[in-house]
Amino acid sequence: MLKNYFKIAIAVLKRRKFFTFISLFGISFTLTILMVTTAFFDKMLSPSYPDYKRNRSLYITGVALVSSKNGWYNGSSASFYFLDHYVLKLKTPEKIGIFSFSAKANAYVNNKKVVMEYKYTDANYWEIAEYQFLEGKPYTKQQIDNGERVGVISESNKRNYFGDAKSVVGKYIEADNVSYRIIGVVKDLPRSMRNFYGDLYLPYTVSKGNYKDVGFQGGFGAVLLAKSEADVPKMRTEYQQMLSKIPTNDKEYDKLYAHADTMLESMSRKLFGNDENVGISRMIAIVSLFILLFLLLPTINLVNINITRIMERSSEIGVRKAFGASSKTLVYQFIVENVILTLLGGVIGVFLSIVCIFLFNQSDILPNLNLSLNFTVLVFGFLICLFFGLLSGVYPAWRMSRLNVVNALKAQ
Amino acid sequence: MFKHLFKLIWNKRKQNFLFLSEILVSFLVIFAVFSLLTFYYLNYMLPKGFESERVWSVSYSRNAKTNNIDSLNIFYENVRRSLKALPEIEELSFTSANFPYSNSHSTTGFTYKGKEMSPINNYVVEDDYNKVLGMQLLEGRWFNKEDINQRSVVINSTLKQAMFGDEPAAGKIVGADNEEEKWKVIGVTADVKAEGDYWPAGKSFYKRLDTGSFRWVGHILLKVSPKADAAFESRLSKLLARIIQNSNTEIQHMEDTRESKNSDTVIPMIICITVAGFLIINVALGLFGVLWYNISQRRGEIGLRRAIGATGSSVSFQLVSESLLLATLSIILGSFFALQFPLLNVFNVAASVYIIALLLSIAFIYLLVIFCSLYPGKQAAAIHPAVALHEE
Repeated sequence: MLKNYFKIAIAVLKRRKFFTFISLFGISFTLTILMVTTAFFDKMLSPSYPDYKRNRSLYITGVALVSSKNGWYNGSSASFYFLDHYVLKLKTPEKIGIFSFSAKANAYVNNKKVVMEYKYTDANYWEIAEYQFLEGKPYTKQQIDNGERVGVISESNKRNYFGDAKSVVGKYIEADNVSYRIIGVVKDLPRSMRNFYGDLYLPYTVSKGNYKDVGFQGGFGAVLLAKSEADVPKMRTEYQQMLSKIPTNDKEYDKLYAHADTMLESMSRKLFGNDENVGISRMIAIVSLFILLFLLLPTINLVNINITRIMERSSEIGVRKAFGASSKTLVYQFIVENVILTLLGGVIGVFLSIVCIFLFNQSDILPNLNLSLNFTVLVFGFLICLFFGLLSGVYPAWRMSRLNVVNALKAQ
Repeated sequence: MFKHLFKLIWNKRKQNFLFLSEILVSFLVIFAVFSLLTFYYLNYMLPKGFESERVWSVSYSRNAKTNNIDSLNIFYENVRRSLKALPEIEELSFTSANFPYSNSHSTTGFTYKGKEMSPINNYVVEDDYNKVLGMQLLEGRWFNKEDINQRSVVINSTLKQAMFGDEPAAGKIVGADNEEEKWKVIGVTADVKAEGDYWPAGKSFYKRLDTGSFRWVGHILLKVSPKADAAFESRLSKLLARIIQNSNTEIQHMEDTRESKNSDTVIPMIICITVAGFLIINVALGLFGVLWYNISQRRGEIGLRRAIGATGSSVSFQLVSESLLLATLSIILGSFFALQFPLLNVFNVAASVYIIALLLSIAFIYLLVIFCSLYPGKQAAAIHPAVALHEE
């Protein structure tokens, strides 16, 4: 039966090439946009270089002091003191890595300016983030404690600073007029990895700023790594208990917020939530509303075209009805035909997405951010296709099934 | 004539309903895109209000050992003198972090005779700031030595318009930050588009850096001479490292930050236009197909009209005006929604932006519908009455 429907669907597609083109254009184009967007978010949220342990990590990126009396809000990244003094005391996490958010420094090589983003880290950071070392190795706890001026640089920084030099380990790099001995070179990563991006990684003990300052706010963040994914809630509970016991030590500010969030949570909190609410449900609602609105226009278009095409086939429908086909069979047939059409559009859409993603990766709009179509994206695309096919097929099919046999036959 | 067309449309209300909703949705999409473009375009046409060429910004981290105000003042006066001594530096000014294109914001409130306004951009600057940026003064004067320990404030022309209308602003006593703190307006400057070329300046005021400010100030703006090149920049960086010890310094060119600030606006805008463009092509093809099909369905009717003497052009005119009438219905409905934006003052954007966008989108939809119905209309005109009636 299905084989028959398939044959009919192909025959119909061939009949009016212009309409087929419009339908396929609409479906494949819509799908392309949705799939490229999904690929983008997938890249942002799922584990990727160098943060492969994202599923069992929580990130502390900000500390906010709030005065509920005056309505004042003072937000910034966390201080080293806060992370060292309170967060490192936690028992559940397997490892805790501390890092500073990158800041820019200038260097001048042969009168050419090189801008690099430097980042201070501790030793655990290198065990949590799995950087790919092209040469050399990270600095050790011993080197940090000794305050050695050593650094790990990124591949692009090596290229900018040293040109085509083959090996740079052991050479010195100057940033802000201080020289650091290079002990490792890591593969580049995209800037969207805000917690991990840097061109020059340095031990926190060589920081020019006073990282020992007592206070909650500074330029640092931390990643808490649980032993397993199942341990994440436990780790979160322990963190929250610890946090609730910290006094603000301030007359004006009476509330302290420092969230340990997953990647998805920190994104939704930033965009749709606030300190009290993560905003995941709001994000889902708004994003699905947006996708629905975006799908509305092509869907109405498709419904319009579908109706036109069915009315064209009224004689065929009349004959089938006259020979006893029930409305249900006809609706079923038409929906199957439509789903075949949308899936065909889907296949074209996948090809278009591959082309778009290839162009995006080539274009260097966001350097080192290489999108790819993976299983998640494809499944999402397939679901959208089915949804699209059903949505645009149901109304025309219903209209068709209500055609009066006599009128349908006579129309010819 | 219209009555007749309405009757024809009403008779096919079921088919036309979908046509109508399609135009309605595309109208709203087009309206949104045009609002965005109009907003950006109108802002882009406004003068920048300052010169960003040859302006460099220096940011340094404040890791000074002391917090004593007097020694800090002496220290930074020294920095100023060393920099001023360089022939390549024409002007310099210490400033708060929110200088143009810096991604840093500081806002506060402003009151005058009980009328309150917020948020207002709050820039804290020095006497030479206007010279560094080449800002234009419209009224009164800029800060000078007279303002030491005086509560003087310079406002921009947007804030002046909003607060004082056409009255002169210089000399007025206002409340800045909060009602109780009284400040005197000494001048009005032209708007400075600090958020990039596509964004309005917003309401802003400028305050003078007071003696205690060096505890928190971390930025210097420099106006350099045309001779300043990379070699000079390298020398400058070395000098800064020597005089502000134990600090991380960064030098940026304002032209570069301006470019990146503008691309933050332009890239999403291009993506938006591309997506909307494809949606519209999609809709146009759909409309075209449906109209074409409708006409082939109405061959009998058209043949009859032709047989009793209607000319080809009047037949195609009828079909085009039918579609235009349908489009008008959608546009009326769509305009009702669109007009809510200026009426409710959504997003705090000037009503003129929405009105221009509305007119543009109406024109666009009409053009689109005419474009899509012209060819089917011509096809209809070519129908031969004898053939068409014979089919029936």
